[in-house]
Amino acid sequence: MNLDNRKYLLYGLVLFTSLLFVFKLLYMQVIDDSWTRRATQIAEKRREIIPPRGIIVDRKNRKIVVNKISYNLMVIEERIKHLDTSAFALLIGWEVKKVKQRFRDIVKNEGVYKNPATRKTESNYRPDRPYPFVKDLTLEEITRIASRLTDFPGFYEEPTGTRYYPYPSGANILGYMNEVSRNEIEKDPFYRPGMNVGRSGLERSYEAILRGKKGVRYIVTSATNNEIEPYADKKFDTLATPSPKIKLGVDIKLQLFGEALMKNKKGCIVAIEPQTGEILTMVSAPNYDPNLLSGRKSIRKNYPGLVRDANLPLFARPLQAEYPPGSIFKLLQALICLQEKQITPNTGFACNKAVVGCHDHPRATSIAKAVQYSCNPYFYAAVRRVIQPNKKKNIFEDAEIGLNAWHKYMMGFGLGKNLGIDIDTLAQRNGLIPNSLYYDRYLGHHQWAFSTIRSISIGQGEIKLTPIQMANIAVIMANRGWYYTPHFVKSIGKKGALKKYRSKHITPINRAHFDAVIEGMRRVVYEAGGTGKEARINNFIVCGKTGTVQNGKNKKNHSVFIAFAPIENPKIAIAVFIENAGSGGAWAAPIAGLMLDKYLNKKISDKEKEQAIINANLMSSN
Amino acid sequence: MRQPKGLFSNIDLPLLIGVLTLMGIGILTVYSVAYNPEHPSLFDTSQKYGKQVLWLGLSLFLGFLILLIEADMYRKFAEYIYIVTLVLLVVVLFMPPVHGARAWLGIGGLGIQPAEFAKISTALMLAKWVDDTNIKLQNTRTISETLGIVLLPCILVALQPDAGTLLVFTSFFFVLYREGISFDPLVFSVLRYFPRVKLKTTWLGTHFVPFFFFLVILAFLSLFLSGSTYSPFGIQLSGPVFLILLITLIGLLFLGFISFFGYPRNKTKNLVVLLSSYLFSVLLISSITFFFNHLAAPHQKSRIELVLGLKEDPNGADYNRNRAMAAVGSGKFFGKGYRKASVSSMRTNHVPESETDFIFCPFAEEWGFIGNLFLIALYLFILFRIFSIAERQRSVFFRVYAYSVGMVLFYHFAINIGMNIGLAPVIGIPLPFLSYGGSSMMAFTIMLFVLLKLDSQRRDVLR
Repeated sequence: MNLDNRKYLLYGLVLFTSLLFVFKLLYMQVIDDSWTRRATQIAEKRREIIPPRGIIVDRKNRKIVVNKISYNLMVIEERIKHLDTSAFALLIGWEVKKVKQRFRDIVKNEGVYKNPATRKTESNYRPDRPYPFVKDLTLEEITRIASRLTDFPGFYEEPTGTRYYPYPSGANILGYMNEVSRNEIEKDPFYRPGMNVGRSGLERSYEAILRGKKGVRYIVTSATNNEIEPYADKKFDTLATPSPKIKLGVDIKLQLFGEALMKNKKGCIVAIEPQTGEILTMVSAPNYDPNLLSGRKSIRKNYPGLVRDANLPLFARPLQAEYPPGSIFKLLQALICLQEKQITPNTGFACNKAVVGCHDHPRATSIAKAVQYSCNPYFYAAVRRVIQPNKKKNIFEDAEIGLNAWHKYMMGFGLGKNLGIDIDTLAQRNGLIPNSLYYDRYLGHHQWAFSTIRSISIGQGEIKLTPIQMANIAVIMANRGWYYTPHFVKSIGKKGALKKYRSKHITPINRAHFDAVIEGMRRVVYEAGGTGKEARINNFIVCGKTGTVQNGKNKKNHSVFIAFAPIENPKIAIAVFIENAGSGGAWAAPIAGLMLDKYLNKKISDKEKEQAIINANLMSSN
Repeated sequence: MRQPKGLFSNIDLPLLIGVLTLMGIGILTVYSVAYNPEHPSLFDTSQKYGKQVLWLGLSLFLGFLILLIEADMYRKFAEYIYIVTLVLLVVVLFMPPVHGARAWLGIGGLGIQPAEFAKISTALMLAKWVDDTNIKLQNTRTISETLGIVLLPCILVALQPDAGTLLVFTSFFFVLYREGISFDPLVFSVLRYFPRVKLKTTWLGTHFVPFFFFLVILAFLSLFLSGSTYSPFGIQLSGPVFLILLITLIGLLFLGFISFFGYPRNKTKNLVVLLSSYLFSVLLISSITFFFNHLAAPHQKSRIELVLGLKEDPNGADYNRNRAMAAVGSGKFFGKGYRKASVSSMRTNHVPESETDFIFCPFAEEWGFIGNLFLIALYLFILFRIFSIAERQRSVFFRVYAYSVGMVLFYHFAINIGMNIGLAPVIGIPLPFLSYGGSSMMAFTIMLFVLLKLDSQRRDVLR
């Protein structure tokens, strides 16, 4: 037998194996790049650098929202190796049972989805993704834990910011933050599990600016997830850009003062700088310390209580509550009547209590006096001329034309629509200014005339305004016919306010018509028979208008006051609305006065009044 | 012809240079993979590269000593060397286990693995035995003794347990096949029960080794393909059916070959061999597929699937291989550059044992496909050189030993690189001359220098 050929079997075996290797390597290394991707997944990490959230300052550059650093203990399940659960539980100070439960909870919280490919329900949870295992640890806690984390591969610490509010004030302006939802993570690549996102207020509306721009670092990591070296000499790295400082028009001291005044009261104070539209103060009472909702632990602890509170502290009344404006509405009626030339500044009407109730006062022989006395029959008669202009014989058709013309004026004052304040735009209410379609719907086409809807002439009936709209009326009065959309953010970095807050809205009233009405406002505060003398302050002339809003039979009236001061070159316009407090002159006017005093004179001249207001409890009385 | 020249005059230079190159690559790779910036010196013995340099120096010194010993001595003392290693393999079983195996003899870090040296002594013993016996004409007793020489250390190694080395010992069967061992006595002891069959030799007995390995590979392939489907020419076929079709095609090719080119007098015999091999293969494929799909318990099934890479478990049982393959794959065509391995360096430690059993990974990651091509070519060259050295020996002893060295090296090469690139299950055996570790470095060096010495004195042997 020839054995010599058998050597070729051995040569062949070696050659075959080598060729097999070469082809396999050619495929793995050159043709197919899935292993390269796998290697990237294993050893190279894309580390996102999240810049600290932007800080917010008030108009005097006082920091009102800052960051307090806290830490999350993150976990990537796929990197966990031989986890000694009891040692780990001891390290983080939990029970073993809780640690195990936490793992289950993380998976559960991620929810499930239906995989369209396999038609199976699969978990959203991904073992290769980081999830926060323990949240909001303090520096002391994390220092203790971090030093031993090398024993627990798969776990690492990550700093996160918690918001801190040095002035425990302005919660409804600033809003609060909470952990991002699954949905948000999927929609926006910026977010990762465990991150926080603005949930309401400015935190929410300026989220895209406040969060800043992420930076990215590519690094080579070890099996224990330790950073070994930068990848490719930092060639692909980008820097994180923190948010520019956001400066508000709010004067936090004034805000604090307003909140103090509104203690134990329900209602709002809104103060706006007329020339700029910057909101100086927006008090929603009752309110809460924004620090109560900062950080997950606090939210978990305090949020349910705030939600259940019958007085709705989370409800931003100035933007979301709609009230009948009452007599302050007469200012606008007067302007419209003048503009429509239905009256002149010196037109007088008798105080005919037969058509509408009024209180006893001297006859209003001019528009100024009508405002001063807040004469209901006067405005009934004047507005009647606007709404029934006698353009048609049929009074119903006539009223339709008149009301719609009147409605157009009201819209021009920014009423009956969302003003577009820069927080919670969607949560802002429109208020209600009825037009012909509105009444047609309820009463039928041509089934109504002025006499049917007469209560609107004195700001009652269907009319509804939000307190911010009321304050904006004061702004319009102060500016004699124009306003900027009220807004909180004075400047983003050095760029100024958003563009839409820098364009003037001109109302359809000639400037000349304002003088008579403003004279009326002055008289409200300074002349005998005026209802707003409680709003007087030293050094500056205040122009105001009270309102006492009827509010159903068995409830106390709402107390309203709007004002601006000083009369020339006004620096502040204000609206105060106190629910179920009584007359406008009794409560809203003095509160407005104190606010004006605080803002313009920087100190309170009448300490007794201040104390009386602070101590007054108007909540128990309804 | 016989000139009393210097000691090294007849050393086979190509082989020596090839192996020294490999050693150099080994040191460079160990230095790269274990590099510690605080101890940058290659000769810093607190680091793995320093130790490896030490081991290499020691090994080369031993190699030098071996060259001083007369070639005949290995033949004379083969039994004793063999028995001493067997005793060591027994002793090692009473040692405390390291990583679950009782493989280390010695204290702490300074230990040796007798199993590595058992390969040399078995090769020597086998060589002597084959030389002394007429291996082609055997009876049941002699063939049992021949097999026993290989199987005895096999059993002891299996007890450690060390599956890798056990597997390497099967390489000796190829050497025996090359020498013409016939398993006929064993075949006849079965054929006895078929009274009408009268044969002098059987095809099965003669070619038992390759046939057996063919079946093993076929078994692996059918397991591998059991779960998958293929659709050549648009027809959906399950894996095993595809395999059977493939075998049929190859069978038909052979049939054509036999009918047209085969000697007519061998025709019947060849046809019988072809048909029986074919039927046997089909039977094997079907039975393995049936067993796997219907009889195997789920846990057995999943283990088998894992070993074959049919199931993905990148972070569990398949952790090492998954990371190793990622490291190799990420090297791409030109590699990441020397000391730039990010997956398989010891600093990142994604590939465990990347300085020992998985040293191919950092090499492949850093030097890429080009480097691999060179490395495989170098191994191919060394193996072919060893085979051609084997073929030029006058003495059976020399030739068997040379083939043994070649086949042992080949097994290490094939299994180690195979497991690094996902073509073989993860079995822990070192890559010769590259992997970090004293025992394997010394054993392979000794093995090779004995071969060089024997070859240098091949002309001293009288025909």
